Amino acid sequence: MSPALTRERDVREAYAAHSGELYGFAVRSLGDAGLAEEAVQETFLRAWRAGDRYDSQIGSLRTWLFAILRNVVIDLGRARDSRPRVGPEQGIEPSVEPLEQALLSWQVEEAMRRIGEDHRKVLLETHFRARPYAEVAEELGVPEGTIKSRVYYGLKALRVALEEMGYED
Amino acid sequence: MRTDEHRDWRLSLGAYALGDLPPDERAAVAAHLEGCPECRAELRELEGVAALLPLADPARIEAPTARPPADLGARIEAQIAAESSREGRAKRRRRFRLWAGGAAAAAAVAAVLLIVLLPGGGESSPAQEVKFASLPKGVSIDATLEPHAFGTEIQMYVKGVKSGTLCRVFLRDDDGRTYSAGSFRYRWGGDSEAELSSALDLSQAAEIGVHAGDRTFTAPVGQATALVSGAEIEPT
Repeated sequence: MSPALTRERDVREAYAAHSGELYGFAVRSLGDAGLAEEAVQETFLRAWRAGDRYDSQIGSLRTWLFAILRNVVIDLGRARDSRPRVGPEQGIEPSVEPLEQALLSWQVEEAMRRIGEDHRKVLLETHFRARPYAEVAEELGVPEGTIKSRVYYGLKALRVALEEMGYED
Repeated sequence: MRTDEHRDWRLSLGAYALGDLPPDERAAVAAHLEGCPECRAELRELEGVAALLPLADPARIEAPTARPPADLGARIEAQIAAESSREGRAKRRRRFRLWAGGAAAAAAVAAVLLIVLLPGGGESSPAQEVKFASLPKGVSIDATLEPHAFGTEIQMYVKGVKSGTLCRVFLRDDDGRTYSAGSFRYRWGGDSEAELSSALDLSQAAEIGVHAGDRTFTAPVGQATALVSGAEIEPT
């Protein structure tokens, strides 16, 4: 029989392994720490209630939890939107992109955070800030060829990190 | 050496995939790719990742990671424990019905009574399952009593009583004082749940009783036949 999320201990382990990520995505998409907390709580409760339907043969626990969170975020977003706004400048604005894209963006950002510091730094400077390789090489005190190889290994590491998070292209 | 050369080309593939190479170098890599299926396969993978990069926001990458509050896990566990003890009772009810058998089950009527007792101390004694003994043939009554910070919750399962019978539930303390826990009417045709209140802390309850029509049934509390804890779960 495939493991299901039916024991309280399973939920505790799942929380230890995935709550950080789930919360991170909830904050990003809801733009509100309180709502994000609510979303994570609701996600684990729904997971617990439906625990006997989870089948590890079909997909990872992480993917399943994210699928639940996605629905919770939609529900909470709706509830929030139907509430009257107190004022125009209330805290962080939630991300306005569609949820699927928000999830993908968040995954790429999270994968970037997971790769090694050296690789992240080089990708941030050369790609996101569009700085010449030579300039970044000088700043870091390494040969330009090293920057090039860090870009290469950085992308490879990023791919592995994304795959670990269940991304498939 | 061919291998070293190949390795150098390979290391350029990241910059190539991101479109960062100056034109002459780009042309040289392109020429190598023509004759190197290995590098072409590698490039396809890197291009897949490179295409995702524009989705990321560098400010968010570098922002400190948001962490959930330290007590969130404990709050979720507490809520699940509470739900699981309610569910445990529901499952016991279901089991009981199953055990009653097909034909009997068709006639069996479940009346579920939920009594919430008002605060009286909020002892942390475990929940108790009480089975009523010495009942007429065909009648069964059992109850689960659960302490809460605000008082006690009682869930009662009654079967085999005449439909329409008024059931009045009470608790008695050690001194024999009776505390009403409200009433419900027993009906044929499936489960019914009622929530009622009374005023005795579980730790002070010595007896639970039901006046059902002109009969009164009681069972001792505090010498529980089975302990039900919040952590109880069904075997998988």
